[in-house]
Amino acid sequence: MSSDYENSDNEYFEDDDEIMDEDDGSASDMEVDGFDNGYKTIGNKRLKSYEVDYEPLSQKQIEDTMKNEIDYISGLCGVDADVASLLLRYFDWNREKLVDKYMDNADGVKTNAGVSPPEKPEPSTASSSQIESHTGPRRSTRRANSSEAQKQSKTKAIIERISPPVEEPYMCPICCDYNPTDTRSLACEHKFCSSCWSEYIKNKVRNEAEQWITCMAEDCNIAAPNQFVQDVLAEDPAVWNRFKELLVRHYVASNKNLKYCPYPSCTYTVSCPSASSKSSLTTIVPIVTCGASPTHKFCFGCNIDDDHRPVVCAAAKLWLQKCQDDSETANWIKTNTKECSKCQSTIEKNGGCNHMTCKKCKYEFCWVCMGPWSEHGTAWYSCNRYDEKASIEARDAQSRSRASLERYLHYYNRWANHEQSAKLSVELYAKTEKKMEEMQMTSVLTWIEVQFMKKALDEVSKCRMTLKWTYAMAYYLESGNEKELFEDNQRDLERAVEELSELIESPLDTDTITDLRQKVTDKTVYVQKRNEIVLEDTAQGFQDGRWKWNCSVDGFD
Amino acid sequence: MSGICRTRLAEERKQWRKDHPFGFYAKPTKAADGSMNLLEWEVGIPGKTGTAWEGGVYKLVMTFPEDYPSKPPKCKFTPPLFHPNVYPSGTVCLSILDEEKSWKPAITIKQVLLGIQELLNDPNVNDPAQSEAYTMFKNDKVAYERRVRLQARENIPK
Repeated sequence: MSSDYENSDNEYFEDDDEIMDEDDGSASDMEVDGFDNGYKTIGNKRLKSYEVDYEPLSQKQIEDTMKNEIDYISGLCGVDADVASLLLRYFDWNREKLVDKYMDNADGVKTNAGVSPPEKPEPSTASSSQIESHTGPRRSTRRANSSEAQKQSKTKAIIERISPPVEEPYMCPICCDYNPTDTRSLACEHKFCSSCWSEYIKNKVRNEAEQWITCMAEDCNIAAPNQFVQDVLAEDPAVWNRFKELLVRHYVASNKNLKYCPYPSCTYTVSCPSASSKSSLTTIVPIVTCGASPTHKFCFGCNIDDDHRPVVCAAAKLWLQKCQDDSETANWIKTNTKECSKCQSTIEKNGGCNHMTCKKCKYEFCWVCMGPWSEHGTAWYSCNRYDEKASIEARDAQSRSRASLERYLHYYNRWANHEQSAKLSVELYAKTEKKMEEMQMTSVLTWIEVQFMKKALDEVSKCRMTLKWTYAMAYYLESGNEKELFEDNQRDLERAVEELSELIESPLDTDTITDLRQKVTDKTVYVQKRNEIVLEDTAQGFQDGRWKWNCSVDGFD
Repeated sequence: MSGICRTRLAEERKQWRKDHPFGFYAKPTKAADGSMNLLEWEVGIPGKTGTAWEGGVYKLVMTFPEDYPSKPPKCKFTPPLFHPNVYPSGTVCLSILDEEKSWKPAITIKQVLLGIQELLNDPNVNDPAQSEAYTMFKNDKVAYERRVRLQARENIPK
C-alpha cells in the first residue's frame, strides 16, 4: 500500500486513518497531527510480526473522547451534558443501545437511569417493576417507602438548591443536626446537609471507587450528576480528581479496545483494537507500553505482569497455573513413594532390599508386589510374584508419572533459571557499572565508548525474558518437526546469550580491552539477531497456525 | 465522622423511645462501668403473626462502625438463627445492610429491623448464607416449617 505514495507523510496519514476506523470511533481524530505521544514512531516504522499496533492515550485524551460522546448524546436527546453523561454511564457507554432505548421510551430510560424521578405515583406495580429490573434483587419491604419518595418529587430538572430553613426547624436525617447551614438535594428533592453529602460522596469515591453515586435516601435511585459532585467536593480537589479518574476508568472498562495501565497510580490508557477479541489472542501477543514511562510494559490480552512473548496468553497462563499448583508435588509422591498396605503411611524407599518393615505399624511387606513378606518364603531377595498383571500395571503407571515429572522438571528448571538470572540482573548491572568505570580509568576508552557493556547487558536481560517463556511454550508444543525447529532456534539463542553473558562477566585485562570490546559488540549484534528470529518466527507461526499443542489450550481448537 | 455517628445514634434512640413498631425492642448496651454504649445495641425482632415465626422474639446485636451512617451497622443474631440468609456466625445477609448494595445513610434503625422481620418469613434463595437452612428450605418445606416453629417456641420471651 505504501508504494502508491511518493510522500512518506501520506503514508503516515494513511496508516493513521486505518487505526481510527478500526477504533470504532472511540478515539477521536484529535491527535492526528502535532501530538507527539509515541504513536508516531510506531506508526512510522514497519511493525515486526511480534509487535502489535497500539496507541497510548493520556487521561486528558480519554476525557476528550468521552466529551465527544457526551456532546453527541446531548445533542441527539436534547439533554444537558451532565444528563448525557449519566445516561451513557448507565448504559456502560453503549451508545447504540442508549439511543435505541431512549427513542423508544425517553421518560422510562430517564427514570431507570436515575436521572429524573418518576413523573407521578402511577400504579405501583409498573413503576416498581421498572426500578427492580435494573437494580437487581431488592426486598419488597421498602416499597411502602418509595411511594413516599414519589410523592415528594415534583420537578424533573436536576437542580442543586441551597435553601434557608423555613417553617418548623429542619433536621438533617443523617447527622440529626438541626438547622444546618446549608442543604442540598438531587432531582428527587431528598434534602440533606452539605457536610453529610460531602462525607457520603468522599466515602463512595475513596473507599468504594464508585463513580455512580445515588441519593442518600432509602430506596432512591436518583444519581448525582457531575456538577453536583464537583460542587460538593469543592473543598476536596483530590477527591474530585479521583472521581474524574473513576469516570475514565469506567469508560475504559466499558470499551474492549481500551485497557487501563496496571501500574500503580498511572492514569494512562492503551488503545489496541487488534487485540480486543479473544480469538485474536491465539495469533498475537499484544505487549504494549502505556506512554507514561517505557517501564510501564504490560500485556493487553491478559493479566500477566511480564513480557511473555513469544508464547500466547492462554498457554502462558496455563504454564503459570501449572507452576503454582501442587500437581507436580503429587506426581513426585506418586513416583517415589508407596503406601503401607496396612496403615496407609506414605513410605519413601531410599535404599536396601525389597523386604520392607513399616516403621509405624511394623508390618512386613514386599516393596515390589506390596504383598505380605511372610508369603515370600525363602526367596528373600527376589519376588517371584513380580510378573503378575497387577504388578505390571502398577509399574507402568509409576514409570509414566515418573516420565511426566522428569519432562516437566526439564522445562521448569530452565524456565526458573532464566527467571532467577533476571532477578540477579540488578546486581549484575551494578557490577558492570563498576567495570565500565574501571575500563575508563585503565584504558584509553571514553565514557561513550564503554557503553557497549551496558548495551550488551540490556540485550542479555531482554533475551533471558524471551528464553524464559520459550520454555513454557516448548512444554506445551506437540513433538514433531515444528517443535524441533522451535527448539533449534531456542538453543541457538540460548547458546549465544550464555556466551555473551560470560564475556560480560569475564575479568578485565588491560591489554585485551579493545579485543573484548570488539567481541562483545559483535556478540551483542548476533544475540539481537537470534532473539529477533525466535520472536519473529514464533509470531509468524501463530499467524500461520503452525503451532500445535500437546494439550487443550483455551481459544485453540 | 465519629461526632456524626454518636449524634445520629442518640437521635435514633430518642425517636425509638418516642415511637417504635409493636413487639420490637432496641436499646444501647451498658458498658462495665454502667455507661451507655451507643455503638452496640441489643434488639429483639418478633416473628410476624400468621407465619411459622410467630411467637418468637429473636435476639440480635447491632454493632455500629465509627463511620456510621456512611457504613451500615452489622446485625448478628445471638445465638445464631436457623435461617437461609443468616451466616453460621449469626450475621444477617441482607442487601440494605451491604454498603455496596442497597445501604443508604438515611436508612433508620427502625427500617433495618422491619427489613429483617420481613426477611424472616421471606428468605432470599439467591443469597444463601448457611447450608443447613438453605437445603432444607429448598428440599423439604414441611420439615423446614417444623424446624422454624420449634425455633419460635424456643424464643418465646420470658
